[in-house]
Amino acid sequence: MFNLIKRDLIIQKVQLVLFVPCITFLILIGSHLPDFYIFMFAGIFIPINAYSYDEQAETNILLNSLPYTRKQIIASRYIGAIFYMALSIGLASTLFYLFGRSFMLTDIAIGAAITFILFAFTFPLFYLLKPGYIGTVILVGIVLITILSPHAVTFLQDYLIPIVHYLESISTSTLYLGSAGFIVIVYTVSWLFSQTVYQRKAF
Amino acid sequence: MENVIELRDVSKAFKTFLIKDMNLQIKQGYVTGFIGANGAGKSTVIKLMMNLLRPDKGEVTVFGLDHATYAKEIKERIGFVYDNNIFYNALSLKDIGKIVAPAYKRWDQTQFKNYIDRFELPVHKPIKKFSKGMKMKASLAIALSHNAELIIMDEPTAGLDPMFRRELLDIFQELMVDEKRSIFFSTHITSDLDRFADYIALIDQGEILFNQPIDELQTQYAIVKGSTALLDRDTEANFIKIDRSRNGFQALTNDVAKVTEVFGNHVVMERASLEEIMYYVRGARNLYV
Repeated sequence: MFNLIKRDLIIQKVQLVLFVPCITFLILIGSHLPDFYIFMFAGIFIPINAYSYDEQAETNILLNSLPYTRKQIIASRYIGAIFYMALSIGLASTLFYLFGRSFMLTDIAIGAAITFILFAFTFPLFYLLKPGYIGTVILVGIVLITILSPHAVTFLQDYLIPIVHYLESISTSTLYLGSAGFIVIVYTVSWLFSQTVYQRKAF
Repeated sequence: MENVIELRDVSKAFKTFLIKDMNLQIKQGYVTGFIGANGAGKSTVIKLMMNLLRPDKGEVTVFGLDHATYAKEIKERIGFVYDNNIFYNALSLKDIGKIVAPAYKRWDQTQFKNYIDRFELPVHKPIKKFSKGMKMKASLAIALSHNAELIIMDEPTAGLDPMFRRELLDIFQELMVDEKRSIFFSTHITSDLDRFADYIALIDQGEILFNQPIDELQTQYAIVKGSTALLDRDTEANFIKIDRSRNGFQALTNDVAKVTEVFGNHVVMERASLEEIMYYVRGARNLYV
């Protein structure tokens, strides 16, 4: 399992070299960008890149011909994503500190939370869809979200105020714990779903 | 004699292709050549053996173990070579070695280096810059560096120059000094098998037409040539398929003794090559399908 996670470092050698200047660029030039956005970008970088490699059918033939179980292959992706996200956010925090840009732990928490949710919804797509279609589906998704979001906001308007009131009424720790719990559940469901799909996949 | 691979009543349906109740036993300690035309189902069977495909029905066991329970244990003991490059194109052989080596408990780095030297492979060049032959050599170097007991190869000689094909067959012969080791490889170049395979399995349209020792094939099958005047409904029954021309007939028999008894000296009998056996057996099948 550890070897499968370590594999990403070998495959993404070049991209990893680009990682530090990219984040540094965002910290220095992107002063208008919220801090959580930079943490989110940092967290996404390695895991999504790894998937773009694994999307190829040949990679799956290789991994499934080596002495690994399909469960291990999926687990390495989900655990690896947590590992690389933590590492990248740690590195980004160091860069924030080195370049004198202040940030709050809340920014890290929001960035990580959005990244987790994004992973939970994107990872299964890589197993559900045929290679090459994922980009199209994500693009269609973005277009749909753009079209539908104004309607969704109008719809939610009636409920928004009570939701905000509710969130204000609960303590910060409960809010954090509740969000963390929600993310753990979504991520676990995504993991189990991907595992089920991958177990049945033909290469 | 133990079977290293067994397919029992295996069925697998695709939109345009079907494997139905296939039974195939591959003997341990021998080289089995898996022949068949393009699209006959060779790669599908190999994928079933490697657990890249799951059968709809039936059972596939390797070393007597099933993939559902012993996926890791089985693959630990298999060396694989596919007809396409499955390694990361942008990576060098050195980096691919770093990814593959830790997966195997019995990985032998010295052996890997020896094969790299022997095949004169560059270790720092990206795989995408390798020629077809070099890619195949790289796959082989990886497949042979973890003391695999079973080597499964899908068309390893396709697209290779005759010099390297020869070299490859020599390497296989060296490997087979280990009596427990088995090689199963598919090819449509039957001349590779004449001097090297112990068993031949022929597949056509998803069906195994035969799987038997090559010596037995060579004594059992023969090409028979003679005058068409000798043919009638009774005598024709001795042949698998008959080609007629103005100069006479040429046919394949799988019963040399019977043909000798029936035709005596009136026909000429020649040893049938694997290609001829494949051609006639397939032809006969297509005639009656």
